[in-house]
Amino acid sequence: MTRYLARRILGVIGVLIAIAAVTFTIFYVLPSDPAAAACGKSCSAERLEAIRAHMGLDQPLWRQFWDFASGIFTGRTMGTGQYALHCGFPCLGYSYENSESVWSLLMDRLPVSASLALGAAVLWLLLGLSAGVAAALRKDTFTDRALMVGAVAAASMPVYFTSVMLIYGLIRVAGLLPYPQYVSLASDPVHWASNLLLPWIALAILYAAMYARQSRSSMIETMAEPYIRTARAKGLPRRTVVVKHGLRSAMTPILTLFGMDLGGLLAGAVITESIFGLPGIGRLFYGALSTGDQPVILGVTLLAATFIVVANLAVDLLYAVVDPRVRL
Amino acid sequence: MNKRTCTALAVSLAATLTLGAAGCSGGKHTGAGEEGGKNPAVANVGKVVGGTPVKGGTLTVLSNQDFTHLDPARNWVMSDMDFGTRLLYRTLVTYKAVPGTGGGELTPDLATDLGTSSNGARTWTFHLKQGLTYEDGSPITAQDVKYNVERSFSPDLPGGADYAARYLTGAEGYQGPAQGKHLDSIRTPDDHTIVFELRKPFAEFPNATVMPTFAPVPKAQDNGPKYDNRPFSSGPYKVESYQRNKQLTLVRNTHWDPATDQVRKAYPDRIVVTMGLKATQIDDRLIASQGADASAVSWGALRPESASKVLPNASVRSRLLAESTNCTDMVQMNTGRAPFTDVKVRQAVMYALDKDAVLTSSGGPAFNDLSTAYMPATLFDGKQPDTLKIPTTGDVAKAKELLKEAGKPGGFETKMTVSTGDKGRAEAIQESLAKAGIKVTIETVDPSAFYATIGDTKNRTDVVYTGWCPDYPSGSTFLPFVFDGRYIKDKGNQGNQSLFRDDATMKRVDEISAMTDAKAASRAWQQLDGEILAKAPTVPVLVRRWPLVLGTNIAGGYGQTSFGGQLDYATVGLKNPAQSGN
Amino acid sequence: MTTTLVKPPAPVAGRGPWQLARAELRRRTSVKISLAVVVLFLLMAAGAPLLGALGGWSPDAFDKTAIDPYLGGQPLGPLGGISADHWLGVEPVTGRDLFARVVYGAQVSLLIALTATAIVVVAGTAAGIAAGYFGGRTDTVLSRLMDLTMSFPSLIFMIAMMSVAKDVNRILLMTAVIGLFGWPGIARVVRGQTLSLKHREYVDAARVGGSGPWRILTRDILPGVAGPVIAYTTLVVPGMIATEAALSYLGVGVRPPTPSWGQMIAESVSFYDTDPMYFIIPSTCLFLTVLAFTLLGDALRDVLDPRGSRT
Repeated sequence: MTRYLARRILGVIGVLIAIAAVTFTIFYVLPSDPAAAACGKSCSAERLEAIRAHMGLDQPLWRQFWDFASGIFTGRTMGTGQYALHCGFPCLGYSYENSESVWSLLMDRLPVSASLALGAAVLWLLLGLSAGVAAALRKDTFTDRALMVGAVAAASMPVYFTSVMLIYGLIRVAGLLPYPQYVSLASDPVHWASNLLLPWIALAILYAAMYARQSRSSMIETMAEPYIRTARAKGLPRRTVVVKHGLRSAMTPILTLFGMDLGGLLAGAVITESIFGLPGIGRLFYGALSTGDQPVILGVTLLAATFIVVANLAVDLLYAVVDPRVRL
Repeated sequence: MNKRTCTALAVSLAATLTLGAAGCSGGKHTGAGEEGGKNPAVANVGKVVGGTPVKGGTLTVLSNQDFTHLDPARNWVMSDMDFGTRLLYRTLVTYKAVPGTGGGELTPDLATDLGTSSNGARTWTFHLKQGLTYEDGSPITAQDVKYNVERSFSPDLPGGADYAARYLTGAEGYQGPAQGKHLDSIRTPDDHTIVFELRKPFAEFPNATVMPTFAPVPKAQDNGPKYDNRPFSSGPYKVESYQRNKQLTLVRNTHWDPATDQVRKAYPDRIVVTMGLKATQIDDRLIASQGADASAVSWGALRPESASKVLPNASVRSRLLAESTNCTDMVQMNTGRAPFTDVKVRQAVMYALDKDAVLTSSGGPAFNDLSTAYMPATLFDGKQPDTLKIPTTGDVAKAKELLKEAGKPGGFETKMTVSTGDKGRAEAIQESLAKAGIKVTIETVDPSAFYATIGDTKNRTDVVYTGWCPDYPSGSTFLPFVFDGRYIKDKGNQGNQSLFRDDATMKRVDEISAMTDAKAASRAWQQLDGEILAKAPTVPVLVRRWPLVLGTNIAGGYGQTSFGGQLDYATVGLKNPAQSGN
Repeated sequence: MTTTLVKPPAPVAGRGPWQLARAELRRRTSVKISLAVVVLFLLMAAGAPLLGALGGWSPDAFDKTAIDPYLGGQPLGPLGGISADHWLGVEPVTGRDLFARVVYGAQVSLLIALTATAIVVVAGTAAGIAAGYFGGRTDTVLSRLMDLTMSFPSLIFMIAMMSVAKDVNRILLMTAVIGLFGWPGIARVVRGQTLSLKHREYVDAARVGGSGPWRILTRDILPGVAGPVIAYTTLVVPGMIATEAALSYLGVGVRPPTPSWGQMIAESVSFYDTDPMYFIIPSTCLFLTVLAFTLLGDALRDVLDPRGSRT
């Protein structure tokens, strides 16, 4: 177990370094000049050179990458004299746009994206799994068909379509909810929830549909397994068979899916956040992209990749708990 | 305004929104937006909306973006300068806080007067008022003003206005005060006197000292790039919290003394700027003006697609500001590279362009005025001349004829760079030029990178779509910037985007600049405008307005002409502060 | 919608598995309907110039008579300006014909989605077979590459790559970028299938009979994985369409004035309440296409790959 864990964590670090290197190369090789963007409306060649030097853009690519990668652990000092900025571990550099440390920007936005992702996840798991299991247990009945038709239709609707419909229906016409404007959970839980309700629903509809389809087929497969038949033959109550034996192993593929989805969403749902005007990581990324704010882009990409690989690792470890057949 | 647009408007105002106007026919479009009297959007132009505010309450500003820079050394965006200099810091001189053309007049702010010049307008002296303090009660000194001007030279703090760099003696190669070096051309004989030595005469120097570059920053508070996130206040408000791209909260600066300030009224107790909202949702919220939104204003201009929710509705229209930005949008061609070296080709573009279509995609005649000359109407005593008499929808036949004369009967292909927000306008240009055989490929660039992209004269596209705004009401801040070939730079080029090098024009610019009679100079600029237009280095397209819908509880609101029609934050407040909640 | 796992009827002598599958598919109404929708949209995409000419408007032509410039360019007439002249109404502001834009948009959207799918399927199948059949170091390297690709935050990367590349053919770039992140899914399925086929008797027989690896791969393994691949392919298409739409929606897709459904929906979102038809028409097209491909894929999977190979 310990050896397995050590190997996996080493793998995770390798993947992250690879992703950082790829991102770095894409943004630093391609012809975009953040120094020119920062220089503003009127910019002399001399001033531009000074700004490039200040940003460290006059260094060779490998050097810039090394400074970045080692800086994450050891911290960096940027600029000189009175204006020097020191950033400690974990240093992801400073935004070109607003001189905020990338790490603090990410940590500032994370609660928003996490609120959105976790709230939506609770909703979609509840909806998706119950619909999927119900359909599987009533296979080939009207309930099954109706649920699955609904699921396939919901899964075919792009999230921006559902979002706009929700905004129109619940805010503009019915006036039931306010326009979403993020409030932190700590400061006002009621506002937090009521403002996030629509984005939750919008995201949950899409994912619930996918999970309903997935859990249905997984459940049907499991219920056809010999050991379930054995359990039934033993005379165990149907409820016990379904919940303790069926559901448990049917959840294995769902867990994989969930790890990937949640990992991806934690690092920002770009479209949902932008439609609902939520200041999460997705919007931070989108904004940084349009202004060519490379340190922020790099930071978000790394964070997103971290979430995905860590979620995968967590899922693999959870298998051991959920599925007694899996040994690490 | 002609018959067709008239009917269309009348019917649509009466009909429900989705039905629109169906029974409109005939008539030729002319520049409908120019005749302001009938434009439903301009009823409040030059007026104050909502009466006089009552002190107190929270003013909410809804924004789809963050400020570019609030650090006074770096702040050079119209709206941001309005916000910064009206609320957070004071400059030597500022604009009067009145609606209409009066907003273009100067008034002393930190200084006791508009400055005195000597040595043939090469030396400028300002005296600071007594009793001015920062947010911590410490005194504002002339050295602090000097210090901030020096900061604007620092490569760590890019983005600010470059008047200081352009005029101060010994400014070449100066890299800011961080290394301990200082500019000798700014002298501070005592705490309340500051003297600027310029390398060439500059009679309009006081106009430049309204720029945030000329606001005070105490050396002790200067933390370089981080200052942008927490400017130290010399104005009526100070920063309570600022989360970039999320929220900025301003509270009263109790050390600001209204007795020293004739401009800022500082009515609200708090100002909260919420950023990163969807632009169309902001419009919807302000149109509805429910609850706390009644005490809110929009930071950005009304979206064109919201026009149909505002214009037919008299009560919403009564809360609409639509001051002109005074900036002329132009299609600018690279006159230094084929095929645009040929004046016939440039004229073909001028004739082919359907300005009317661009106007529609820009929000229609209610929010834009067609442009038939380069300088905006304010520099033509209120109305631009139409010397070429090209139909507003273009003249494709004439354009094709010109192309044939230029030896390009089949047209040609070219590329045009536009800022992301101008994509719709660009598509209208693309479509109308295609009719004459000119095939345009559009490159969209994010606003933040736009000036850097088009400023790279070697690598940019041959056509760019961008405008120019006079910094103050004088032809000297327009034509020399846009058409004087001596201002062209390889990188960071601005203004002269047509790379127009015309000896006759440059000679005339020098002659007019030397004129002492302001009236005669003004007439001469107007005449020169027409002469350049005939050479067609750029095509003037339109002058935008800055439409803003105010919440129902907003008072003292008007568009400040000197800040591109943005709401004047010096005087805005609430009718009923109790209603604003928190 | 019947995603049942009914066992195919007992094999009748003289009918191969493909014929059986066809018979099974023909039985289902959902298949017929979704196939009809898919074919309709494919025809529409293929015949875009023809249909456009029939409608009488080019997708880029402005029509100023169809809009009211004073109301922010609202279409004149009810339902977003639907008339004999403009069959699906017009785009607000520009007055461009919506029918022409939807039809040409279908061409762009489907072209990108289908080409990207082709890339994904070819690359994924090749990688999967290679990993599964050769095993050892090949398998390790390819599997690591799959893991790595799947760890990339793909949407974030796609947006990033689309937005930095300027001077390239947008359609080509978009296809490549979407394809780049899609292949590991199918490669895993194929790898699993290949592993299980590798030691079947008939493959061993071929090997003993002296067939080279190339011959075994193409003659014995490839047909064996064809069923799941076809089913998976159909299920990949809707994902690709949705991804193209999402990228165009975020404004990093095709260059103006080229229409694509995602781009049209993005532009129309801000008009959803003032000109609902403008929003509804491209959204419906997108919805129907994705739905039809999903239903078709479901059915194909049930029939061609009844057990497993899904993860």
